[in-house]
Amino acid sequence: MTVINDVEYYVVLFNSVSYALKSEKILKKENIPFKLIPVPKSISSDCGVCIRFTPENRGALINALEGKVEYNEIRRL
Amino acid sequence: MGTIIDAKGLACPQPVVLTKKALENNDSVTVIVDNETAKENVSRLAEKSGCTISVESAGDGTFRLSLSKKGAAPSTVTSSTLSETSTAKSGPNVFVISSDTMGKGDDELGAALMKAFIHTIFSLDYLPDTLIFYNTGVKLTEKNSDVLDDLKKLEEQGVEILVCGTCANFFNIKDNVSAGIISNMYDIAGAMSRAGRIVMP
Repeated sequence: MTVINDVEYYVVLFNSVSYALKSEKILKKENIPFKLIPVPKSISSDCGVCIRFTPENRGALINALEGKVEYNEIRRL
Repeated sequence: MGTIIDAKGLACPQPVVLTKKALENNDSVTVIVDNETAKENVSRLAEKSGCTISVESAGDGTFRLSLSKKGAAPSTVTSSTLSETSTAKSGPNVFVISSDTMGKGDDELGAALMKAFIHTIFSLDYLPDTLIFYNTGVKLTEKNSDVLDDLKKLEEQGVEILVCGTCANFFNIKDNVSAGIISNMYDIAGAMSRAGRIVMP
């Protein structure tokens, strides 16, 4: 099975699952497109979840989380 | 030898039950139904029981379904829908999603886990042949579901998605189900009983 992945994605990583869930709530409220996905194995083998987004939503997303949720880092997938 | 069933106004799964019964004693059966779901459910029954079917739309919202048994109809369901990708040699690989949360304890966490699980299915080495959604699980197939894109992708890959009609009705989301096909207990129990393996997160 080949997966053609021509979309550029970024993920926000958190220190705790509860931060990811809190971010989910905030982003939903703000209508910012994102997707809650498991942390890709290439990043960490921990059983975590992270927030995936596309570059055009980066600014809005960072603004929405600013001062409300502590995140660890943002990485390109 | 033919018989006509008027199944208008009957709730799921009555049209299927009546058709199934009629097929036991008749080589050809005509069923009149008044909704799309009943039409599809009876059509699937026809396929599974080795009947040919022709559908006529009467224009007033009713459908006339004519079923007739093929020469030597198989006594049990055929396995033509089984996919080669299944690891279980004895039958299809079936995933049962019985809730919109994964695991018991905390529902907020459980909802996140279920979303992560559904998202992950696509990248598994062996895709399921069938995904079954029932009880609160049906909410995952709704139009505004966070995993709708994942389910669409799985459907494109040929994964059959069965959504419990009774459940969609119970939660009043039948018109909002946007992935898979609204199904009934016959198909759901049938798919589970034929499965070589059932995965239930």
